[in-house]
Amino acid sequence: MEMSGDLPIFSALKAKMHWNQSRQKLLAENVANADSVGFKPRDLKSFSKTYAATGALQAVSLTMTASTHLAGYDQLSGFSGNKGLDFETVPSGNSVNLEDQMTKLAENQMDYQSAITIYTKSMNYLKIALGKGK
Amino acid sequence: MNDFLKSLAISSSGLKAQSGRILTISENVANADSLPTKRGDLPYQRKIARFERKFDAELGAETVKLGRVAKDRTPFVQKLDPGHPAADANGYVQTPNVNPLIETMDLAQAQTSYQAGLNAIKATRSMMQATLGILRV
Repeated sequence: MEMSGDLPIFSALKAKMHWNQSRQKLLAENVANADSVGFKPRDLKSFSKTYAATGALQAVSLTMTASTHLAGYDQLSGFSGNKGLDFETVPSGNSVNLEDQMTKLAENQMDYQSAITIYTKSMNYLKIALGKGK
Repeated sequence: MNDFLKSLAISSSGLKAQSGRILTISENVANADSLPTKRGDLPYQRKIARFERKFDAELGAETVKLGRVAKDRTPFVQKLDPGHPAADANGYVQTPNVNPLIETMDLAQAQTSYQAGLNAIKATRSMMQATLGILRV
């Protein structure tokens, strides 16, 4: 697998899958806090924006100088959260819109699935090149 | 722990909180007619489940947990029933401040949120399975 890590398509897919995983975590957090007082939903900046800016996804975080230090709250594997505009805010200060979150969950799942399909396909091409594919 | 497992842990904290809330709601509904037994006693006071946001350092995310159950401070409903053992000098009995309509709506909301959490778990699980699927090719 060491060689495949150098191929741009594999590193791009890896970054994309990583992004999807982090987004899934944020969406799960939003859904779990759907009835929490004062909770504001969060989401990641779009993958294309993040990826185009750096060409690679790099974790940016505060340096931890002791093992007992806690990682910062916004240390989302190097992705910056995007608060965006809230659809509505209920009197308790919560602005999670479940329909919106469900759509995002489905979208994230489909995105991830397509990344995996492309990954598998590309792997097959490599196998063909090696003379082992069908 | 990878991000998928963290997502599962966060979602299940939400499910746990919602089912605790449903417990409180059913307690309220069950006690909607729990009257005092003697003069001067108070009837059942409606309980309110409260959610607390809790930052989990290991998960690096905000989970939700059930906080202390609060009592509803809405005044009790006065009902004229002079024959009741708990009736006051004017013949009024204090009845619980439980409103079945509010409890029904609360229950519906808890159910929706629970379902949403379950959907999040299902989505995460299918993504995990897809990841494992890479190995199978």
